[in-house]
Amino acid sequence: MIKNYLKIAWRNLLKDKVNISLNITGLSVACAVAILLGMSAMFQLSYDGFHERGESIYKMVRTEQTPKGPKAGTVHAAPLAPTLEAEMTGVKHISRMVQDGTLALFGEKEVNMDIVWVDQDFFSMFSFPVLHGNEKEPLADLNDVVFTEEGAQKLFGSTDVVGKTFNLMVNGEEKPFTVSAIAKDIVPQSNLDFQIAARFESHREYNEAKEQWDRQYHEVFVELKQGVLASSFEQSSRSFVDLYYGEGIERLKRDGATADENGRFINLELVPLKDVHFASFKNGTVEVSRSRPYLIFGVALLILFIACINYINMSIAKTAKRLKEIGMRKTLGAQKKQLFFQFWSESLFVFIISISIGVVLSLVFLNDFKSMFNTQISSSMFWSPMFLAGLLLSILAITVVVGGYPALLMSRLGTIQSLKGKLESSGNNQVRNVLMVFQFSIAIIMIVGTLVLWSQIDYMRNKDLGFDKEQVVSFPLNGKRNSHDMVDLLRDELSGNAEIVSVSGSDSNLGLGKDGSRSSSGIGFEYKGRIVMTNFLIVDHEYVQTLGLNMVAGRNFESAADSLGVVINESMAKELGEQDPLTSQLEIEDGIFYPVLGVVKDYNFKDLDRAIAPMTFFMSRQQDLTYGFVKVAPTNMANSFVALENAWKKLEPNADFLGSFLNENIDRTFRQEKTTAKMISSGSLLAIVLSCMGLFAMSLLIVQQRTKEIGVRKVIGASVGSITYILTKDFLKLVLLAFIIASPLSWYILKEWLQNYTYRIDLSVWFFAGAGAIAVVIAMLTIGTRTIRAARANPVKSLRTE
Amino acid sequence: MLLQLRNIFKWVQQGGQRVFLLKDINLEVQEGEFISIMGPSGSGKSTLLNVIGMLDTFDEGEYDFLSESVHTLKEKYRSNLYKEYIGFVFQSYHLLDDLTVEENLEMPLLYKNIKGSERKALVADMLDRFNIVGKKDLFPAQLSGGQQQLVGVARALIGKPKLILADEPTGNLNSQQSEEIMQLFKKLNEEEGVTIIQVTHSEKNAEYGSRIINLLDGRKI
Repeated sequence: MIKNYLKIAWRNLLKDKVNISLNITGLSVACAVAILLGMSAMFQLSYDGFHERGESIYKMVRTEQTPKGPKAGTVHAAPLAPTLEAEMTGVKHISRMVQDGTLALFGEKEVNMDIVWVDQDFFSMFSFPVLHGNEKEPLADLNDVVFTEEGAQKLFGSTDVVGKTFNLMVNGEEKPFTVSAIAKDIVPQSNLDFQIAARFESHREYNEAKEQWDRQYHEVFVELKQGVLASSFEQSSRSFVDLYYGEGIERLKRDGATADENGRFINLELVPLKDVHFASFKNGTVEVSRSRPYLIFGVALLILFIACINYINMSIAKTAKRLKEIGMRKTLGAQKKQLFFQFWSESLFVFIISISIGVVLSLVFLNDFKSMFNTQISSSMFWSPMFLAGLLLSILAITVVVGGYPALLMSRLGTIQSLKGKLESSGNNQVRNVLMVFQFSIAIIMIVGTLVLWSQIDYMRNKDLGFDKEQVVSFPLNGKRNSHDMVDLLRDELSGNAEIVSVSGSDSNLGLGKDGSRSSSGIGFEYKGRIVMTNFLIVDHEYVQTLGLNMVAGRNFESAADSLGVVINESMAKELGEQDPLTSQLEIEDGIFYPVLGVVKDYNFKDLDRAIAPMTFFMSRQQDLTYGFVKVAPTNMANSFVALENAWKKLEPNADFLGSFLNENIDRTFRQEKTTAKMISSGSLLAIVLSCMGLFAMSLLIVQQRTKEIGVRKVIGASVGSITYILTKDFLKLVLLAFIIASPLSWYILKEWLQNYTYRIDLSVWFFAGAGAIAVVIAMLTIGTRTIRAARANPVKSLRTE
Repeated sequence: MLLQLRNIFKWVQQGGQRVFLLKDINLEVQEGEFISIMGPSGSGKSTLLNVIGMLDTFDEGEYDFLSESVHTLKEKYRSNLYKEYIGFVFQSYHLLDDLTVEENLEMPLLYKNIKGSERKALVADMLDRFNIVGKKDLFPAQLSGGQQQLVGVARALIGKPKLILADEPTGNLNSQQSEEIMQLFKKLNEEEGVTIIQVTHSEKNAEYGSRIINLLDGRKI
């Protein structure tokens, strides 16, 4: 019996090559894409899932109710962690952590490395397995460090280095450390990434900060004892907070903050480790959102769905050709069940072929996919039991529904009717129409999404940020020399070059540089009886002109001697609330008042998803600069860049030069948006291609079914144009209907998405009109090729088919 | 007695009115009979044949087949009944285009769950008996109309039915082919005792039968 089914299925496949190849192509491509997208979504979702104790590890967040609304911060004061451990029950392990870049020196070698400064508990909490060396307590001694294999290779050229001594630059001095252990390289889906782990107490700020409760500069991770709930820990931390943050609470009360629903002003909250990758603190509260991976999953499903709709539609349409077979089989005694299994097994056959091709395709294109969408998926993920189970389950679901539905329809047909070759088609057509409308709605939504996403990216790229991004190069000051000296030396070195306009430095980059690190600092101080919060930037006196910022009042720093004053931005001026901000004196350090020298026009020093916040420039040689900025003349920019690089090499022969123009840095900050946009646009391309493949196959079948009608109409005298119109209009109606459904939906979705950006484009009608037009034109071209040919055919031929 | 129809009515609703396809049909068929149903187009011949073959339902009346009351049976049992005892022959042969002659003959046996070796033997027998061994690997489209109908009859017979229902079996054939098929029916009826009910337009073909039933507007006359 089964042999017989397969035989029939095989011969059917061979008979209808166009249809079947369209089906198999569509299904296998959709399957491949769905597998790849599914893998990348799974990859995202699996972030930080590898820590064995992950279930009980949390990141600590402090939320404050400020007069301007809630504010959440992940950085804490150095005494917090030891005090918590000592005074609260329920803490099993706790570790502070600063992620940083540092210069490591070994013999002649100077290498910039990613480092984490952590407490002793770190390796007991997190699963970063130690390969050689001290497994039990790798950070027992203050000078102990742990290298990853990769890090050890980078500095020592070998991983057999346990016990070796080397130096790290700390506060401008070389300090010796000893390698106590080598850990396995960190897997890609880890939020914590480092090459060296060193003791927190060795960090440059520790000695000054260890007793200070108002100096917050590091993160805290805590592992709770078994059975201790995060919520109960948070609750019981309240009296602790009241005790140690009492002063802050008083200040908040004084400045007019309103308490949260529990009557609290400051809270310690715990974010589960597996949520950390998905948490954002943008609106002052902790928000965990996995919408991006789910969006990717969604796109994968939609694409599969579109391909499945094609299959369903084509199978139903093809029923007409097999009526005689169905009728005959029934007269020979076939039962519904048997017919159902026959048709279903035919579908299964097609699916198995398509899915196998799809799997092969996805593995073949894995590397292209990885580089195109910069994800770190690997083929080993494909073979993970979770993924395989999910894949099998979805294949099963698809074959049952997609193969089952047409099979069910076919098996239900009446014997006599099918023998006569008559089909009550109205019902099926409706199902077909609904499915096609659905399909095109999805395609249109994706097209609108693509248009809007790219426009938003384009807008962010071209927006005037308030500083000169084309002509300024930034580079990390990652050498051995004192950063201020280095900026001065560079300035002298380049002074003879007419194409170098100016040189400066600050302690934070703009955008995302080649070193891939970002930081920002803030400060709060008392001003006229209330707390004023501002971003805080250490600069060099030529910062304003180097970046092309505009002064709106007062003056810029003129020389290094102006270090007793500050320059603020307009938002800060507003925050101070003075008629003339130049009269303000800011008590940034206790007892020392800094006069405001000038006000600089607001510029976007953070990403465009945030509004411009208050900013204060501060000139101090006591604090290190971390980035150099050089403005070059608009001519010969490439030459100037080389000149800068050469000057760097001369002054810091051992350190890498990681310079890049600011517009590249800004582009790098949209990397996620770009990846999403790329995914959505490839998805929409695929969606429209698949939909059109379905449309094409349908038009093929419809034209076949209506051959006689076309012949009769022509004999009566209809023109080619009118026949084409009749054949095309039914389909176009569906596309238009899809447009009507898709427009408000996509409008809503994209409006929500754009809310994420403080600076955003308007959703103009043209996005929707454009997407609609694209869908209609492509659909018309697809159907047109078939219908015009049919309309032009000789009527005698088409009538002869009777 | 093979089958009995009592007061069979069948109608369709058309514009709020009942249009009768079959009206008060009473019919008894004994085993070994050869019956011809005649009548003009639209008189209900094929409908009656389909009702007898249980491919179609009726709205009123009673139908006993081998002392089973068909009107009370569920579809599943009905299909078991007709696949066991009835073979069908159609005007346009209704062979499956995708299957070879041999496979077409084998198909009814598949639905009767007969074992592979037995199927092979039965099919070989049938090919032999109808002299179409040489054509067993051809597809229907490669055969003449007469040959296709020969295969059609062979397929109807392979399940060893008690009753063969033939709906204008020679309608698409030329006179010589018709003659052959009718001779075949006669032989089957006389030598093997297979009961045959055929629908025909041709007086000449009707003569082969032992009894003629005339229909007009769904009534027996």
